[in-house]
Amino acid sequence: MSAITGVVAINTFREAVRDRVLYNLVFFALLLIGAAILVGQISIGIDRLVIVNLGLSAISVFGLVMAVFIGVGLVCKEIEKRTLYSLLSKPIRRWEFVIGKYAGLLLTLLLNTVFMSFGLAVALFYVGRPFVRSDVSILVAIYLILLEFALVTALALFFSCFSSPMLSILFTLSIYITGTFAADIREFGDFSRNPALKAITRALYYVIPNFHNFNAIASAGHGQSIPFSLVWQDTLYAVLYVVLVLFASSITFSVRDLK
Amino acid sequence: MTSSARTRIRRQLLCLPLFFIAIGVMQAHIDANAASVNVVGEDLLLRSGLLIQKLSLGYNSLLADIYWTRAVQYYGSRVGAPGAKFDLLWPLLDVTTTLDPSLIPAYRFGAIFLSEPGNVGAGRTDLAIQLVKRGIGANPDEWRLGTELGFLYYWRMKDYPNAAAAYLATSKNPKAPPWVKLMAARIEDKGGSIENSRIIWRELYESTKDPVIKNDAARQLQILTAQDDEMHLDELVDEYRQRFGHWPMSLEQIRAAGLLPGIPVDPVGVPYVLGPDGKSRLNPASPLANNPGSNPAH
Repeated sequence: MSAITGVVAINTFREAVRDRVLYNLVFFALLLIGAAILVGQISIGIDRLVIVNLGLSAISVFGLVMAVFIGVGLVCKEIEKRTLYSLLSKPIRRWEFVIGKYAGLLLTLLLNTVFMSFGLAVALFYVGRPFVRSDVSILVAIYLILLEFALVTALALFFSCFSSPMLSILFTLSIYITGTFAADIREFGDFSRNPALKAITRALYYVIPNFHNFNAIASAGHGQSIPFSLVWQDTLYAVLYVVLVLFASSITFSVRDLK
Repeated sequence: MTSSARTRIRRQLLCLPLFFIAIGVMQAHIDANAASVNVVGEDLLLRSGLLIQKLSLGYNSLLADIYWTRAVQYYGSRVGAPGAKFDLLWPLLDVTTTLDPSLIPAYRFGAIFLSEPGNVGAGRTDLAIQLVKRGIGANPDEWRLGTELGFLYYWRMKDYPNAAAAYLATSKNPKAPPWVKLMAARIEDKGGSIENSRIIWRELYESTKDPVIKNDAARQLQILTAQDDEMHLDELVDEYRQRFGHWPMSLEQIRAAGLLPGIPVDPVGVPYVLGPDGKSRLNPASPLANNPGSNPAH
């Protein structure tokens, strides 16, 4: 990554902080405090489990909303404000701008997730449970959620490079939802006796990003270990997909007529 | 901003609480009206756990927690009410355990909610057994679910061969404590007995953290103690008859004959009485006398 990319990334991060994006942490904290106090009184036997499930789900949902809604505006906003033209008049290549924007938002999401994870740890401590070895699975689940953010951010940025913010949101959310149903799409084809349909659904299964890969919330909640082999395979899968989407984004943005 | 404008805004802000009060009053009126109109019975809109799992977009474990809490609230809002019905309990537990097959509390406590008779549960031991068997299938390492199954067969169904089989199968789990194998052997040997019942309820009492279930287990242990006492008193009644040639009319007669140092009381402090058949029993005034469950050993 060049120095210019780093500068763009830092400025994107600063812009997100200036836009009070990190205020969502307050909602997250209130949510966990409320759950920690209430759940023990209205349910049986799930005090810790609900904190883990709620905490990880909130980290995932808040982060995804940020990734989609900020991601789609990364390029469009610069065009609308016409700040892009003064930027591109400097010795900065378009792909550097795209990668810098991506890295900046990812940095914001990383910081947000770190704060939320800390809040989750405090809430777990509050419900009176000492930390044990199996809690490593919670950290692994958070890492997988970060991989999910990386992929969603890349997709949002990709659509942002050639489409309006509204359409970019629609496209990104559609791919995200389809990606969570990837396994069902393949199963649907497997049930069919039509070999063409079976081939199409199988191809779709491998082409669309499989977001189910990054979901380890249930395992973390029950303290089940997540195999290391799965973690590195998921990491490699996310890296390959992100590189592919960023590559496509750079090409799309490079050939876009900005006049 | 001029001072008059500031004053105007301040006055307007003071009106805001009044608006909220008015809204609150209106909502209370609407609730009162809606209660009289709302005659349609409650229902569970989505009963398919698999469908809800698909719609959850991967957040199924959190949804399972929500459904489990809903099941607890559903049970808690009805338990003890005259003529209480628990029609939605099974669908709620079904959805919960489909969304998260590893949610052990839903199997353990859900089985109790389902199997309790009278107005303290659904009285559906068949569904409770189905639920626990599903739990064992999904969580073969959880030995406690095996003991729950044994308990249901032993206490609710009085099916001793299946109870012994459940305890025996559980005893093969390396994490299961030694008493589980002992229970399997005892039930196989003697079927229902007070001592077996005491071991099961003692285990439930010590293992649960839920105050409702703990109280119930404590009460059942008191009832078992009372049954022990009654057996001992019946022996004294027999001895009295052999000595005087007739049945005693009351425990006071046995005491007067010197067979008892005083009138014995049950674990909650109410004196025992003799029934018309000459057998000792709990005083109808005793809180232990009204027992919805029944001890298979008695």
